[in-house]
Amino acid sequence: MESISLTINGTRLSCPQGQSILQAAEAHDIKIPTLCYHHSLKPFGACRLCLVEDEKSGRIFASCVTPAAAEMVIHTHSPQVIAHRRTIVSLMMAEHPESCIVCNKGNRCHLRMIAAELGIGDNALYPMPNFAALEQANPYITRDLSKCILCGKCIRADHELVCAGAIDYNSRGFNSRPVTLHELPLEKSSCTFCGTCVSICPTGALSAKMQFVGTPEKESTSICGFCGVGCSLELGVAGDKIVDVNPSHLKNSVNDATLCVRGHFAHDFLNSKKRLTQPLIRTEEDLTPTTWDEALETAAQRMLEIKERYGPDSIAFLGSSKCTNEENYLFQKIARTIFQTNHVDNGGYMSGRLFLDLVDKRTDRAGRFNFFAGPFSGLEQAEVVFVVGAEPSQAVPVFDYYLKRSARKGIPLILANHRKIDLTGPGSIWIHPQGTPPAAGRTADTFYLELINLISALLLDKEAFDTSFVSRFTSGFERYQEELLSLSREDCLGKADLDAQTIALAVDLLAGKKITFVVGDGLMLHRYGKETMDALLNLALMTGSIGYKGAGFHIVSKENNLVGAWDMGAVPDALPGRLKVARSEDRARWEKAWGVKIPESRGMDLLEMIKSAENGRLKALYIMGENPLRSLPQPDLLLNALKSLKCLIVQDILFSETAGIADVVLPAAAFSEKAGSFTNMEGKIQCFSPAVPPPGLGKPDLEILTLFAEKLAAPGNTGSHQQIRKEISSVITSYSNGAACKHPIWIREKAQPEDSQAEEHIRFSPVATSAETEADGRYPFTAFFRSLRFHLGSGTRTEQSSRITAGDEQGEIEVAPADAEKMSLADNDRIRVTSAAGTIERNIRINPKVEDGHIYIPTAFEANGARLLLRLEPFLENDSGGWSSCAVAIDKAETMTMDR
Amino acid sequence: MKATEIDWDRFAEIIEKHAQKKWGLIPLLQEVQERFGYIPPETIGAVAEALDLYPSHVQGVITFYAGFSTEPRGKCVLKVCRGTACHVKGGKSILRVIKRDLDLEEGETSPDYQFTLETAACLGACFLAPAMMVDREYYGKLNPTKVTSVIGEYRKPEGDE
Repeated sequence: MESISLTINGTRLSCPQGQSILQAAEAHDIKIPTLCYHHSLKPFGACRLCLVEDEKSGRIFASCVTPAAAEMVIHTHSPQVIAHRRTIVSLMMAEHPESCIVCNKGNRCHLRMIAAELGIGDNALYPMPNFAALEQANPYITRDLSKCILCGKCIRADHELVCAGAIDYNSRGFNSRPVTLHELPLEKSSCTFCGTCVSICPTGALSAKMQFVGTPEKESTSICGFCGVGCSLELGVAGDKIVDVNPSHLKNSVNDATLCVRGHFAHDFLNSKKRLTQPLIRTEEDLTPTTWDEALETAAQRMLEIKERYGPDSIAFLGSSKCTNEENYLFQKIARTIFQTNHVDNGGYMSGRLFLDLVDKRTDRAGRFNFFAGPFSGLEQAEVVFVVGAEPSQAVPVFDYYLKRSARKGIPLILANHRKIDLTGPGSIWIHPQGTPPAAGRTADTFYLELINLISALLLDKEAFDTSFVSRFTSGFERYQEELLSLSREDCLGKADLDAQTIALAVDLLAGKKITFVVGDGLMLHRYGKETMDALLNLALMTGSIGYKGAGFHIVSKENNLVGAWDMGAVPDALPGRLKVARSEDRARWEKAWGVKIPESRGMDLLEMIKSAENGRLKALYIMGENPLRSLPQPDLLLNALKSLKCLIVQDILFSETAGIADVVLPAAAFSEKAGSFTNMEGKIQCFSPAVPPPGLGKPDLEILTLFAEKLAAPGNTGSHQQIRKEISSVITSYSNGAACKHPIWIREKAQPEDSQAEEHIRFSPVATSAETEADGRYPFTAFFRSLRFHLGSGTRTEQSSRITAGDEQGEIEVAPADAEKMSLADNDRIRVTSAAGTIERNIRINPKVEDGHIYIPTAFEANGARLLLRLEPFLENDSGGWSSCAVAIDKAETMTMDR
Repeated sequence: MKATEIDWDRFAEIIEKHAQKKWGLIPLLQEVQERFGYIPPETIGAVAEALDLYPSHVQGVITFYAGFSTEPRGKCVLKVCRGTACHVKGGKSILRVIKRDLDLEEGETSPDYQFTLETAACLGACFLAPAMMVDREYYGKLNPTKVTSVIGEYRKPEGDE
């Protein structure tokens, strides 16, 4: 781009053509005060504070909306400009209530800062405050529009960044205000409580509802520990507590100026009373406080004894997709080197690991082929986005903003979901089962698989496949082609209960394009999850949607370090760097690095561990940062299995259900209290530093593991996070970028594998179809499990947030209007839901978005009660029903008087 | 026009005509207002969906323009000019006469939804001062007698329900 030169405040500078004067000035550290400008929003020119004077013409104009022109001579602080600014701010102050002393924004208020800079204190103007009712019924956002200066930042952030469209300017002149549709309170509008407006508001008009009022002592940058997006946070610290959370000011952050309701408002869980503050040890029946030394000594001794007596196969380690890369690395290293076992897994078993495994099965050399679509920003270059079985607006809201922004730019969108999700764009297509009997009751299982098979077959009929990609990079296409050709299109249509016309439209839209897939739990956890993922991978190979800018797979990952825990080898069948345990050359690499022999066979995964504990073969389990008693189905069975262990060590931040039955409990540190790195769902490695110390005697997990290893008398497993990181980066190629960085916080893309992936062939897998199932007359309804944006996973942490628990959502089951009428149910009536596995009772909410015969049960609420309807069985196996839906019966329960 | 059940079929016709058109919002809203006498708030969602806009944005446009109303208005909308020329020529008294004749304050609608009384900053017909508009008709050089007779023309015929 051509560059032009101009003079600002006597300094000669150059800037690219098309930049505004304000941008040019900011790039050269010349400060111009602004209230309505934000670098992520389109310039608006509302506040007029950025006025500057052009010496040559004598004109004054708003620098945010005036492009810099060659040879301009600009003054940003000329007497005339200052006089204008003073008038503008004086007028704003005259309209502003005199409530600074009790205002939440405190010393962070931009209006107050600017007024102070301009020396506007006592105002000569007649005060004319624009009184407005205070809105604070919801637990998240307090709206005091009497402090609104109409900069429009909240509205523009809502429209341009978050795409929720909850508010807009209404009326004109003195009456104009940001207002929701029908002037309803926020909780009744389309507001998602992402809080982006709160952070961007320059005054106290919008603020986070909290007990703490004022300015935090300091701010510290960190990475959010909730979902796989990995947003950068600015943690406001007062004393040794986190009192406020905002999006960070980092330039290359994933989230920019946005956050979601969890990231913004649920972090009060960090100050929960349920935080573990000291090591506990089981004496008789109770857990009693003890010293670190004793707790670790006991843990180490018992584990060693068990290894000695029952062998390495009697010990298992459950790492965490919430803990850092360094911690997971050290955790599995301890398991593999000291205890000589591959029985290592992490909570990611329950979300998304399935896919990661399948990818690696397609090639001979694991980790070589990158099916991932890469950075979210690539969505802007996507040709077509295909969202399958995902509800990104609930699971990973900040990623959803990316999707919505690309949809609004006109990138075509195809949604395959049982329910119409909150994501549309011009001309988007929603594919769903039509609800025609008799298929209606059974499509929960068959829909996705038959749909993807059908789409692949129809694309093949159109010869819409990438011949050059297929021949160069894949093998087995001929067979795949034959299988698809012999597939009955009618069967697919019928089994998935699809509308042929909609499918034809979708196929037309997909033909000849590189596809960006967005895949969620709705697909991955369902009965044919594995088969459908295989079908999707085949489709991706056929269309050449791999390694192409913006195309590939976005796997909605609900856990912040799902990818990292896998990369670090906290899984039964892979060593760090995704090297296969079963391959001797892969093993040799780590045997060389660690200087010990690694057992040859793959270890047990989470469910196999439980089964083994049940059988009495597994004797000891070390759980780091997971709460299986709350997250897995059939807790009674699980409880018995865990109780039969000779030694259960739980290292966690909260006194969770699982910690309650442990023999040794080790109090750990949350992400805000330790240093480390997470790898997000794009594959970005994000490193962070502690903002506050852990509560009480708590210690960072890495330190605990180091101390534990010392007690095991196994040197070489110790070290600070820098040392561990160095070890990781020296052996794992994709993490080689990270070691040298000295900054407390940084974000890096993973490094490319050293050898080019070009020459390897990826295999097509055989086409699988769904089996005919008979609908069970006893369970006529289909219950879908839905994770709402307010809770994460099983809700162990989010339930400890007083804001989240005070919200309107209390886990009500959503029922279709027609079904509610048939059963004469009204909102807030209580129903009993029964599946083959169990029964739960909940209140209902009637929602026209729900299809007849379906109900939606939010997970995480009421101690994650929804899982009681499921079976604890490996959901990847064909005879299992999957974990995303199940057949249920519903009937009206005795009405309970609720306090609410 | 009374706030009765919305004729959704009629509404769908209007939507059909303007859906997916660039800059379709204001013509669409004008047509809804014309046909229904006002823009029923419950139609905002459908309007927004048809044009791929945020509902709050549609409401923002409606509330910005004085010409749009989300409340039912009278069959005849009187706009009395409050411009300088009309003021000098006695526009204030004209407004008073109208208020008395219709028993309405500014911005109000008669209970039978026959009349809505509004004022305008200037109708741009200063040569006709004092002036007013009824719907799209101008009435100038008003005096109390003329006002009463103009209003009489627009009154509902007796017994017409």
